[in-house]
This record gives sequence, structure tokens and C-alpha cells, in this order.
Amino acid sequence: MRLQGEARGWLLASPYIVSAILFFLFPLGWSLSLILFDWNLISPVRTYVGLGNFREAFTSARVFQAFFNTYKFMAIIVPAVLVLSLVLALIVHHLPRLKQFYAVGFFLPYLASGVAVSLVVRGILSYDSAFNELLRSLFGTSPRWLRDPFWATLVISAMIVWKLSGYYALIFLAGLQGIPRELYEAAALDGAGSFTQFRKITLPLLYPAFYTVLVLAIGLCFGIFTEPYVLTGGGPRFATHTWQLEIYYQAFERFRAGYGATVAVLNALATFVSILIIRRVVEAWGARRGFR
Amino acid sequence: MSMARKKTVKMAALYAVATCLLLIMITPYLYMLLQSLAPWHEVDRVFLPSSLNTRSYRWLLAGGAEALPRPWLKSLGNSALVTTVVTISRVILGAFVGYALAVLSFRGRRVVQNFILFHMFYPGIILLVPTFLLIRAMGLYNTYLAMILPGLVSTWAIFMYVNFFRSVPKEVVEAARMDGAGELRIIFQIMIPIARPVTAIVFLFLFMERWVELLWDLIVVRDPTKQTLNVLLTTMFGPYGGYPGPLYAAGVLLTFPIIFLFLLFSRRFVQGVSLVIST
Repeated sequence: MRLQGEARGWLLASPYIVSAILFFLFPLGWSLSLILFDWNLISPVRTYVGLGNFREAFTSARVFQAFFNTYKFMAIIVPAVLVLSLVLALIVHHLPRLKQFYAVGFFLPYLASGVAVSLVVRGILSYDSAFNELLRSLFGTSPRWLRDPFWATLVISAMIVWKLSGYYALIFLAGLQGIPRELYEAAALDGAGSFTQFRKITLPLLYPAFYTVLVLAIGLCFGIFTEPYVLTGGGPRFATHTWQLEIYYQAFERFRAGYGATVAVLNALATFVSILIIRRVVEAWGARRGFR
Repeated sequence: MSMARKKTVKMAALYAVATCLLLIMITPYLYMLLQSLAPWHEVDRVFLPSSLNTRSYRWLLAGGAEALPRPWLKSLGNSALVTTVVTISRVILGAFVGYALAVLSFRGRRVVQNFILFHMFYPGIILLVPTFLLIRAMGLYNTYLAMILPGLVSTWAIFMYVNFFRSVPKEVVEAARMDGAGELRIIFQIMIPIARPVTAIVFLFLFMERWVELLWDLIVVRDPTKQTLNVLLTTMFGPYGGYPGPLYAAGVLLTFPIIFLFLLFSRRFVQGVSLVIST
């Protein structure tokens, strides 16, 4: 059978169209009606609450914690991941041989399931682990790690930085490889030392890569789930509570479908607005400095 | 010191730093592997076990403690099944739709294209609760289909193929048509072979992503015989608290297949990753 013209295109595109109607448009419409109701997922009775779900979410201490923690995680994760991935990229870039070996090796953490890594972290930090014994023999004491809000935040941030750095390093690496060698040669002739070259040539020309990594990393901070879900359950004292934990908890542990969907909408709004603002700020900064 | 000598020292230092960092980056993997092979009384208590044995694996693959039996091997199979079906479907359907949008011209093509962009950037988290309700209403709660069906098409895969196919000269497709080739033959015998760098990268990223999916699989499947290894491991942190060795063995089963797969394709990956970055 030979299909003619129009039909071929529609037929080949149909897998997407069917899937988008069923699993995108339909749930999208449903979410708009869900947020107006109080419904426990089971009962045939749904109570119309208007904007009640939003009112509750705006005054909820749990939602505020999730909102606040996202920026707390961001303040740790984003600078750390930018520095570490840039360092990894610079190292790989300057190696005369085995570039690929090291690039692939640094990328390996990205493959890890957050669950498996959480298992390792829990083991290493458990009270009578070899690591804590070592700390106690050195300092006489060991932190309470996941039971301490400060350390729990740091541990979860470190896990995410560890996972992402090798991936983002590839982005910086591509940026570094795109910088023409002649620029460095000309600068060297003018007597610029390697630090000056780095500051005046490498960093400015890496601006597009920097921008990409920044936006990716910020977006990720709004979707933290696996690590705190497995390790801390959002605690201690909500120090590692996140948007997705709150949505999961409300919708699937307390079975509050409408409220859970409402928190999800707020999560999406917070993500969208935050990324928009940060992008504007970084773009304005880049433009002032004359970066592209 | 001579210039050449100085340079050699510098390079040696660079390799030393690179190797140290590499070791740090893979420490969690090494730790997991060593602890899964350690005698049980040494698990987490020592960095390097005094001897290695496979007790944790035998215990795990025999189904776990008699008091807490869990289908570990089956869950590994479940992960493989769900991940493979979803990833292959995403790649093939991605190529189909990508081909339709990049090569064929039909009315409404631009609308579909723009809609895909909107879809791609629409925050998926909003859809979590209603999609779950939909799956439940379709009677798919606690089934493999619940994990498979919503993920059969990936907008990102389509996007990648559209970008690639657009760069293929029109003459290639026209020549094939002159020879009497149908659309499916053009896709499978011409387009997919030349898109190999894209396919490699799309396949790897989607496979990795699906393999470690947690939230969705956790919500739609509660039956342990159907859970993926990732979900089963998550639920057993507490119950198996007294059996850290076997948990590490499960961690190894979850992590090392994907590492092997990745290393197998790593050459293609490094070549192709710029395709992802440039978009």
C-alpha cells in the first residue's frame, strides 16, 4: 500500500499525536479541574473548594520549607557544581593523551541511581562505620550527619554535585575546545601569563557553556526527590524537604489529589519564575561585560 | 631546570591530579562493590575487606531472608524489561515522527512542531497526579503497562531526530523515492543508518534516565513482583537494615549493568555528546 501526500505525514506523526492527547493534553485538562477540588483519590465525593487549595498551600509551613530549601540547595549546589565541572573540564582539556578515558571516567557518576548512591552514603555515614570511627579517632567526635540539619543538607547537596559534575564538565569541555589556539598564542606574545590568559580569554569565551550549565543546574534543584526521599524523608526538621517530596506526600501518602496537584502547579510556577529571573540577571551581567 | 624538564613535571602533576579526582569520583562504586563482597561482620566497618566472598549475592539471589523474601532477581528482569521496551520505542517512534516533521510536508506540520516545543518545556510535575489517576482509571494500576505506556514517546528524542534529519540533503530522500522505496524503507535503510550518532546518544541518555526512574514507578506499582529493582531497593532500606551486605549486592546489580552498557558505547558517546549540548 502506498500512501499519498498528506496521509503519510500524519500517519508517521501519529504515535506522537496519540500519546500527546492521551498522556499530555488529557492530564493537563484534568489537572486544571483537580486543583479546584478537595478529593481523597477514592471517595466518589469531591468537594469544590475554589481557590481553597491555593490558600492552604500559601499558608503551609511545609510548602514554605520546600520553597525555601530549593534556594538553599541551589546556593550550595550551583556554585559547587560550576567550579568542580570547570576544573574537571580544564584538566581533561590540558591532558595531552587519554582525554577520552578521563572524560568518560568523570562522567560515570551521572549513571548512578540515586537509590544506590544513597545506600553507599547511608553506610559510610552510619554511626559505627569505618569512616566515623576514623573521624572519632582523629577528632574525638563525629557529626550526626543525616540527623543534623546542617550536615544532612550538605550531604545531599554533595551527592547531587558528585552526580552532575562529570556531565557538565563535558559541556565546558566542548566550550574549551571551541576557543581558537591563536588567541592564546597572541596573548603569550604580548606577555600575558597563563593566569591572565585564563582570566581574559578562557573565562569570557566560556560564557555560553557557563550559561548552559547554570540553567541546567538551577532547573535540577527544583526537582530533587530521590536522595532525600531515601535518606532523610525530608528531615531532620524539614531541612531537606523538597517540592517533589511534598507533592508525593500529599498526593500519594495522604491521598489528597487536589491539594497535591495544586502544590505541583506552585512548584512549576516557582521554577518558571525563578529561572526567568536568574536568566535575565545573568544575561544582563553577561551583556554588560560584553559576553555573548 | 630546563624548559622540557619543567613541562614533564607539570604534565606528571596534571595526570596525578586527574587520577586522584577520577578515583574520588568512582569511590562510591568501588565502595559498593567491595562491601557487597565483604564478610558480613565487616560490612561498613572496614574500608577494605580482609577477604572477599559472594555470600551477599547468594543470599540475595536466593530471594533474601526467609523472614523477608523479595523477588530480587525478578525485579532486575522487570527493570530490564521496562527500560528496554520504553527506550527502544522512544528511539524508533522518535525517528518516525522526526522523519515526518523534518522530511515530509503535510498540512499542520508546523502546528505539531510548535506543539512539541510547548510539550517539551511544559513542567511534567503538574501532570504527575492526573496521569496517575488516568492510569488507574484505565485499570492499569500495578501493571507493567503503567510503567511503559506513558513513556513510549519522547519529545526530546523527536526533537533530536528532527534536528538531524533536517541536515540530510533532500536529494538523498528523493533519489530513494525515484528507486521506488516506500517511507518505511527510507527510514529503516537510509535515515536510521545515517543517524547513528544521534541514535547512540538518544538511546544511551534515555536508557540511563529510564533505568533510574523512581517517583513514577513508585507510585504506579506497589506489587513487589512487578516493581523495578530501583523501586524494590528503595522500599527495602528499612526492612533489610540488618543485611547491609545484600543491599550493596542489590546496588551493584542496579548500577553495574548500566556502567557496562555505557562503557561499551563510550566512544560513540563522547563523539555524540556535542549533539546534545549544541541544542
